[in-house]
Amino acid sequence: MAFKKDLSIEFAGVKCLNPFFLASSPVCNNYDMIAKAFEAGWAGVFYKNQDSVPEHEISPIFGVTDMGGPWSMFKNCEHASQNSFEQNAEFMHRLKRDYPEHRIFATLMGGSDDDWKKLVKMAAEVGIDGVELNMSCPHMGRDNMGSDVGCNPDLVEQYARAARSVTDIPIIAKMTPNITNMIPSAMAAVKGGASGVSAINTVKSIIDIDKDLLTTEPVVNGKSAISGLSGKAVKPIALRFINEMAQYPGLKDVPISGVGGVYTWEDALDFLLLGARNVQICTSVMEYGYRILEDIISGISYWMEEKGFEKLDDFVGMALRNITTPSEFTRTFKIRPAFDHDTCIGCGRCYVSCYDGGHQAIDWDDELRRPSLNTDRCVGCHLCQKVCPVPGCITPGEVAFDEGATPENIVYKKSFR
Amino acid sequence: MKRGYLEEAVQPLNLRTALEEANRCIVCHDAPCSKACPAGTDPARFIRSLKFRNVKGAVETIRTNNALAGSCAKVCPYDQLCQEACSRCGIDKPVQIGRLQSFLVEQEKAFDMKVVKAPAEKKAGKVACVGAGPASLAVASQIARAGYDVTVIEREAKAGGVLTYGIVPARLPQSVVDFDIQLIEELGVKFKFNTEAKAADLEAYDAVFVGTGLWDANVPEIEGGDLDGVYSAIDFLKEAREKQADFKIGNRVIVVGGGDVAMDCAVTAKLLGVDDVRILYRRSIEEAPADMNEIQYATSLGIGMTTGAYPVALKGDGKLKTVEAAGFYDEEAKMSLSADTIVFATGQKAEAQSGIGALEQDAKGLIKADENGFVGGKYFAGGDVVHGGKTVVEAVAAGKKAAAAMIAYLEEKGVK
Repeated sequence: MAFKKDLSIEFAGVKCLNPFFLASSPVCNNYDMIAKAFEAGWAGVFYKNQDSVPEHEISPIFGVTDMGGPWSMFKNCEHASQNSFEQNAEFMHRLKRDYPEHRIFATLMGGSDDDWKKLVKMAAEVGIDGVELNMSCPHMGRDNMGSDVGCNPDLVEQYARAARSVTDIPIIAKMTPNITNMIPSAMAAVKGGASGVSAINTVKSIIDIDKDLLTTEPVVNGKSAISGLSGKAVKPIALRFINEMAQYPGLKDVPISGVGGVYTWEDALDFLLLGARNVQICTSVMEYGYRILEDIISGISYWMEEKGFEKLDDFVGMALRNITTPSEFTRTFKIRPAFDHDTCIGCGRCYVSCYDGGHQAIDWDDELRRPSLNTDRCVGCHLCQKVCPVPGCITPGEVAFDEGATPENIVYKKSFR
Repeated sequence: MKRGYLEEAVQPLNLRTALEEANRCIVCHDAPCSKACPAGTDPARFIRSLKFRNVKGAVETIRTNNALAGSCAKVCPYDQLCQEACSRCGIDKPVQIGRLQSFLVEQEKAFDMKVVKAPAEKKAGKVACVGAGPASLAVASQIARAGYDVTVIEREAKAGGVLTYGIVPARLPQSVVDFDIQLIEELGVKFKFNTEAKAADLEAYDAVFVGTGLWDANVPEIEGGDLDGVYSAIDFLKEAREKQADFKIGNRVIVVGGGDVAMDCAVTAKLLGVDDVRILYRRSIEEAPADMNEIQYATSLGIGMTTGAYPVALKGDGKLKTVEAAGFYDEEAKMSLSADTIVFATGQKAEAQSGIGALEQDAKGLIKADENGFVGGKYFAGGDVVHGGKTVVEAVAAGKKAAAAMIAYLEEKGVK
C-alpha cells in the first residue's frame, strides 16, 4: 500500500522511523528474523530477552483460546533466548551495521546487582540504542527475577540503579500487570535511573482446563502452570495501566512504550492516543507474521488523513483528557434506545437481555415479533443495542434529562459497527 | 427469490458481515487466490487488510490493481478463479471474495476515495482507444495514470461495452459500471460517443488500442431464421436494456446456448415477466461453459433447461410460432416447441475492422496480436476481439498488459 504518512517519532531520546517495535519474544531472536522485519518496515526491536540462567526449554510452550477470527488469547511459558550472549551480540552488531536507521533495544533480565551490571554493560558495548529491563516475566518461579521484582518497588529501584551505574544509553523498565497499582514500581524505576517504562508484560493466567488431561495448556508431561497471557484479551488491561501512568503527574514526562494485544491499526492507535510514544507487538506477529505491520501503517495513515494530522505528535495522548473517574460523570440524563422496525429481523435478543439482564423495559409483540420501549422502566443502559445482531437497528435515540436537571449538550457515541 | 429486472440478485454485505467473512480467510503464506486472478487484483492482500480492519487500505489495493474492480466483483467467474484456488476449500468452502470486493468498492464510493490519480504534469503523447468496453477502459486508466492524453472512441451512446449493453442488470447493476467509468473519466480520459472510429481520425494519435469486442452475432444458418421473434443474444440484451418492460417478446421464450450469455438472456426474459422461459442446449449441463452459480440462479427462477437438443428449423407465418428441435446425441429425438421468441446465444464474432486500418483478422474476425497486445505499427489490441469470447477480468488483464507495452512503445518513440 503506497499511501503513507510520516510516522516518525522520538522515543526516550531516540529517533524512530515509526513507533512500531517487535516486543521481546520469539519474534526477534536472531539476525535473519530481525532483518526480515526491518525490511517489512518495523522501526525497531526489543531483542529477545537474555539472562544469565542456562535455558532448557519445555515442550510444548503455548496454549490458545480462539473465539473465531484471530486468537482471542495466547498463553506462553517461554523463557529467555537460547542463543549464547556472544551469538546475540554478534547478531545485534550486524543489525546495527546493516540497518543504521532502525533501533535495537536489548531486553535483559538479571537476578542480582552484579548480574544486571554485567548484562547491561555487555549489551551496551555492542553499540545498540538502549536496553529494556525485564522486571515482569510472570513464569519465573523466583523472587529475585521476573514479575516478583516488578511487584517490589524497592527491588525495581535497586536493579534500575545497578543498570544505570554502567551505561548512559536509554534504559526502559518493563512493568508487570500482575499488580494492583503500577505507579509505585514505575516511579521506583525512574528514581533508580530508568529513562522510560514499558507496559505490560503478560498476565498470570490459566486458560481452559483440558477435560481429559485435567490441566491447562501448555501440557508439559501431564502438568501445566500459571503463566503469561497475551493477545487480544489483554489489551484492555494494558490500556488501563498506560492511561494511569500517563495521567500520573510524577510520570508526566516519562516516555511510555505500550504493549499488549495489538493486531490492527486501531489497536495501535489506542496506545498512541493514551500517550504511548512506542508500541510493541508480539502475539499477532506470532500468529500472522511481520506483514501485519503493512495494515497498521496504512490504516493509521488513512486515519490521520481523515482527521487532518500530519505527524504523530499532533495526537499522541489526545484521548487522555477524556478518560476520567466514574465520580466525575454527568449523571443527569438517560439516552433512550430507538428501535428501527424496518431493519429489525425479529430475533428478540434485546427483549431477552433486557428482561433477564436489565430492567424489563422492552415490551415484545408476539404477533409482529418487534420490540417497543417502556420509557418508565428504561434506565438507558443500552444492553439492547449491545446484543442486537443488526448494525444500525437499535441506536441511541432521545436524550431525556432527569426532572429538575438543566439540559445541556451531551456528547455520546452515535456510530456502532 | 425472484426480483425485478433492475434489482440485484445478490445481497450486499455490511461491515459486520464483511468482517465475519474476512475472518474466514486463513491468511495463507503464498495466497493461491492472488495467483489465480488474471488481472492481478490481489485478493489475499485486500482481504488481509479488511481482516485487520484497514478498509481504506483494502480499497487502495483493489482500485490500484483493477480499474474495473466494481464490475469484476459482480461478474467474475470466481468459482473457476480465486475462489476455486482458496485454501479454505480444504476445510469447508471458499471465502466469498467477490462479495468482499463488492463491499469494498461500495466503501470506496461512500468514503469518496480517489485512489488512482493522473499526474499533474502531462506527457506529450496522445493515445486513442477504439471501443469503450472492458479492455479499452483498462488501457485508458493505465495510460492516463502514466500521464498521457487518452481519448476513447465509442460508437454507442454510453461506455462499458458488454458491461452496459450485454450483462443483465440483476447480475451487474448499471450504477456499478458507471462508478468504475466515472473514476476513469476523473483521470482526464476523454470519451467520444456515437462515433465510428475512422483510420483518418486516428492519424492524430501516437498509439491506438483496438478493443472493439465481438459484436457480430453468430446466428446459425437455419430455416426460418428471418422470422420476426428471432434474435441474436447481443440484439436481445441490448434491446431489453433499452426498452425494459416495453420489450414485447411474448410469453414463450427459448434461449439457445449453454454459456453465461445464454443464462443472462434467459434470466432477462424471466425478469421481464415472461412465464415460460426455456434454455435449449445441445450438450449436457456439466459440459455447459456457464458458471454453475449462473445456471443455478436461472433454474431457481423457474427457467427450464433442456439439454441434448438443438433447433433445426423455425416455423411461422412471418412471425415465429414453432421451434423444431433434434437430439444432439440421440439421433431419434425430435421435439416441436411453441415459441414467441427465440434467442441464439451461440457465440459472437468480431466485425470487420477495415474502417480503423489494415488490421489482419482471422475467419472469426479475431485480430492477431502478440502476448502484449502488439499488432503492428502504432496499433495494439486486446480483449474479446483478440482472444474470442473471454471474461471481463481477462479483458482487464489484457488491457493492463497492452497499456504497459504501449507506454514502453511511446517512451521508445520519444513521445514523453
